[in-house]
Amino acid sequence: MKRILWWSIVVLLCLGWSGLVFAEVKNPDTYIYLSISEPDTLDPHFAYDTASGEIINFVYENLIAYKGESVSEFVPRLATEVPSMENGLIKDDGKTYVFPIRKGVKFHNGNDLTPEDVEYSFERGLLFDPYAGPMWMLIEALFDYETLEDFVADKLGMSWADMFNEDGSLKDEGYAQKLIEFYNQYIDPAVEVEGDNVVFHLVRPFAPFLSILAQNSSWSAVLDKETSVAMGLWDGKAENWWKYHNLKKEESPLYQQAIGTGPFKLLEWDRTQQKVTLVRNEDYWGEKPKLAKVIIWGIDEWSTRRAMLEAGDADQIYTPTQYYDQVKGMPGVKVEEGARITITAMHFNWTVSKESKYLGSGQLDGEGIPPDFFSDVHVRKAFCYAFDYDTFIQEVLKGFGHRIPSVLPKGLLGYDESLPMYPFDLEKAKEEFQQAWGGQVWEKGFKLTLLYNTGNEARQTACEMLKENIESLNPKFKIEVQGVQWPTYLDAYKQGQLPAFVIGWLADYPDPHNFIFTYYHSNGVYGSSQGQAFKDFAKANLNPLIEEAIAETDPAARAEKYTEIQKIAYENALGIPFYQPEEIYAMRTWVKGWFLNPMRPGEVNYDSIWKEE
Amino acid sequence: MIFYVLRRLLFLPIALFGVSLLIFAMIGLLSPYQRLATFINSPERLKSENVDKLISQYGLDDPIFVQYLRWLKNVFQGNLGWSYVGKGPVFEVILERFPYTLELTIFSVIPIIFLGVSLGVISALHHNKLLDHVLRIFAVVGWSFPDFVFGLIILMVFYSTLGLFPPGNLSVWAETIVKSQAFRHITGMLTFDSLLNGRLDIFWDALRHLLGPVLTLTYVEFAFILRITRSSMLEVLQKDYVRTARAKGLEEKVVINKHARRNALIPVATVSGQTVVGLLAGTVIVETIFNRTGLGSFMALAAQQLDYASIMGGTLFFGFILILGNLCVDLSYAFIDPRVRLE
Amino acid sequence: MLGFVLLLFFLAIALGAPYIAPPKSARDPYMMPIVTWSANPLPPSPEHPFGVAGKRDIFYGVIWGTRTAFRIGIVVTVASTLIGLAVGSVAGYFGKLVDEILMRITDIFMAIPFLVAAMVLTTILGAGLDKVIIALIVFSWMYSARLVRGNILQVKEEQFVMAAKALGVNDFMIILRHVLPNSIFPVLIQASMRMGSLVITAAALSFLGIGAPQGYADWGALLNYARNWMLGGQGEALRYWYMTVFPGLAMVLFVLAWNLVGDALRDIFDPRLRM
Repeated sequence: MKRILWWSIVVLLCLGWSGLVFAEVKNPDTYIYLSISEPDTLDPHFAYDTASGEIINFVYENLIAYKGESVSEFVPRLATEVPSMENGLIKDDGKTYVFPIRKGVKFHNGNDLTPEDVEYSFERGLLFDPYAGPMWMLIEALFDYETLEDFVADKLGMSWADMFNEDGSLKDEGYAQKLIEFYNQYIDPAVEVEGDNVVFHLVRPFAPFLSILAQNSSWSAVLDKETSVAMGLWDGKAENWWKYHNLKKEESPLYQQAIGTGPFKLLEWDRTQQKVTLVRNEDYWGEKPKLAKVIIWGIDEWSTRRAMLEAGDADQIYTPTQYYDQVKGMPGVKVEEGARITITAMHFNWTVSKESKYLGSGQLDGEGIPPDFFSDVHVRKAFCYAFDYDTFIQEVLKGFGHRIPSVLPKGLLGYDESLPMYPFDLEKAKEEFQQAWGGQVWEKGFKLTLLYNTGNEARQTACEMLKENIESLNPKFKIEVQGVQWPTYLDAYKQGQLPAFVIGWLADYPDPHNFIFTYYHSNGVYGSSQGQAFKDFAKANLNPLIEEAIAETDPAARAEKYTEIQKIAYENALGIPFYQPEEIYAMRTWVKGWFLNPMRPGEVNYDSIWKEE
Repeated sequence: MIFYVLRRLLFLPIALFGVSLLIFAMIGLLSPYQRLATFINSPERLKSENVDKLISQYGLDDPIFVQYLRWLKNVFQGNLGWSYVGKGPVFEVILERFPYTLELTIFSVIPIIFLGVSLGVISALHHNKLLDHVLRIFAVVGWSFPDFVFGLIILMVFYSTLGLFPPGNLSVWAETIVKSQAFRHITGMLTFDSLLNGRLDIFWDALRHLLGPVLTLTYVEFAFILRITRSSMLEVLQKDYVRTARAKGLEEKVVINKHARRNALIPVATVSGQTVVGLLAGTVIVETIFNRTGLGSFMALAAQQLDYASIMGGTLFFGFILILGNLCVDLSYAFIDPRVRLE
Repeated sequence: MLGFVLLLFFLAIALGAPYIAPPKSARDPYMMPIVTWSANPLPPSPEHPFGVAGKRDIFYGVIWGTRTAFRIGIVVTVASTLIGLAVGSVAGYFGKLVDEILMRITDIFMAIPFLVAAMVLTTILGAGLDKVIIALIVFSWMYSARLVRGNILQVKEEQFVMAAKALGVNDFMIILRHVLPNSIFPVLIQASMRMGSLVITAAALSFLGIGAPQGYADWGALLNYARNWMLGGQGEALRYWYMTVFPGLAMVLFVLAWNLVGDALRDIFDPRLRM
């Protein structure tokens, strides 16, 4: 018995040590990146998360791309020229865009790229428009509608749901003809092939259009028409196009397949291990990547990712800033810094739903808040004064972030550091609370619950900080801070039950409209969640300005309007812009050629990076 | 006895039905928006009123029994639904991951029993002396240790400082080979398949990746076996036939090995069955820490994200395995110890 | 034995918590106070004898966590044992159809892996210690039920029960006064063994991020803070040892105490019993 025991120990040690032989640069042709999630779907017209975008971005290509690290300059990609006013490829005061299509490009399966492929890709996307997908950007840009179904409903005079039975068949054959007409009248002419060019026709000028098309915007990727039709996607015809609309995620054949023209081919998506493997496209028309293989592996545990980086089993890992001290100075590892176009802010619900559990007693009696608590500007201002912005950025973000005057991040048109910002001033906060609701808030006190979505330490700490500071002003102020899982948070948020919410936004495209509309317009994703009272305020004071700003083509005039909007936001304390974060990227020192483009989903430029000591 | 087995087997579908009802009832406590979270996993997707249409598209706002019946109908047609966590049909996903859990269980049960029995015997033989106490404390400490703490310590001590026991299923080079056409997947378990394919190097690699979780599970679980062995051994040593053997002048070693131990192992055998069954269901945490793609970590993710198709499918599968497993264990009672009567 | 001593030690700490680690506000002493805004852990120091983790004082967390541990353990064990006793005795005593139905229901509950079921239920019910307790009770009463039922089946055939029946004593009284007292000991022993593993399960739930709310004084939650720092700073693997050692030690000793007590109980009450 004892002998077996001893032998087992010997075997154990041998097994362990057999792995200790380290190469100099591990896996020199292969790049291993550890992220925290895996792609949702590889269908470019469905994907709306960075993990999916990362893959789509290197397997597919768009018509144009950003130049290096810039988010305002473009270079041609599948098009041979970037349209502009100067070269005459933008016409009709910005309503027509002409893209000459490159020749000699092949898809991964050998098919040639033709302008028809481009036309097909966009039209398929527009018709597909899955719920909660990214196509709204193109639909808004081209047609000024929010969704395809809205568009159809408006033109045909009846809602989409009314036209169909439960099983998807049309209720009346007459509808088929109307839908075909709809396609021929509106969708088909929006994207046309003219010779070697593809031409886009917009209903009105839309400044960010080029950004929506550029590489990194996965929804503008170019598919191969032949391959797609063979896969069972829309056949390109007007008849029966509605059968291909809004398929479920798993029903789309493009869910796990990706045939593009990009520098990498998709070798495999191992969904069990959350691993995606890409290999170099040897027939790529442009400059071939130096890496032969890329492995993107989703590993949730920070400790595991870190351990693998240390051992050299990974070349780069996703590094949350709070673990900076764990990677700084690690032998063989360097830490780069950069910033994306994203902000985090707290916004208020001016008309909370009465069923909310987070209102306490629901009255201003010291044990709760009334549903319209935040409709009083003094309350909002008090909150704005009560947040210790600088300490937060120093202590919690370890200095990796900076303040912003409104929800508009640095790097976008209209950003102005000189705009007024609320300082951290507990005295002023006190004054504002004393004036709130005619002095009742100060006299009676209040109690409310702040929710945050678990998994994000920075947001949790922001809520906790607010609680500590506000409670210190008056013993009758009580704030509960509660962390809940995303499903619960989503539920409370959608039902308008959160008195205030901390939420961030990552730029879909680098234009101020993407942020300003989202937070301040009554139809914006977050704007619409701030209660009826806010929506009324926005309709009167903000909506018109926002809509003018996007219709304006002169950048200087636009910037002026955005300044005005931001001033209104400041004066009315519409929200507390907490911070614009910066990120850190931990990678091995043998990684060369890395750079960051803030619009790129994913942290690595696989097509231009390489490894050497 | 046949009737007993038949009766238990007939109960299986009823039990599974009951399990599904129970879990679905729990899920029914959720609001449609909470269920929506599986599809809306980031704030960007909140854009547009289409979000609410998603609810009707997936029927999340139908009354709960309607949803249950719909699910049941699908199950009878052989469709367990789509797993959003596993990104594939539920049944396929489960079948793909189950071998990893099975592999871990098999490779853990062996050292658990081995260590438990041998140390238990030693402990009994040195009853109430220092060695006994030391071993018992060692065992109980292991049992008192949360498995996640121990697992992380193993990662910390062995992987971080020494580079042993890496996380994951396989190293990169091994995986390339396993994924290629040349490698035949027979059992789904990397260790056995690699041997069946004649690739010893992959076998070693798979084994190396198994060792961390195996070590964790072993230390935390072997205490139970040790105690059963010990007390059973102690009891047997008091028995008459042992005294007779000693009186006959047989060598102590022979007495222990031939007479005492064999009889002492009877309860151990039955308990081992329970341990196996328990392990199959209990690898959740270890798999998460060591990044193994087994059924445990899958269920953990599904539970956290409320992916109800995965949860239902997974619990059905576990239920099936557990009930069958318990049946085997109960049968083995009767087999090993003829004194036990099955009712 | 050692077990009793340890338990008394923990009990003392639990009872004396407000004095050993005075809470910051009277409102909710179970919430660990935030002492720093940086997420970096801090080593032990005079103001923070066990160090700081997740912005909170570890010492405070360990002390008040003792109360949490007792609370979870006692409430869940008592509740699930009572439920188990009720179900098991009814099933065992009345036998036949009642027994069959109740036992099949028990089997159904047992067919679901405990941790998974607890996770799903806690996610559904939401955060909060009481939700965790409910989830744990719902999925642990079965074990007492089976044990009680088995014992009752044995005791049922004993002479004194038959005598009582012959005398015409009401069924309920028979269960209460004759059958139960004789089958109670194994249940007690099992209960004490379960205390320890319950605390570990609750900790596992906190570790997975569900269960007690953020900042609640719970050993599992403290260990969850340690999770991302366990591998130490660059090169120094054991740099943040205090994050793991203090709560981990508390947990191990606590469970150890209960296990030892259970052992001792068994030796005292019924040396015949093997399990």
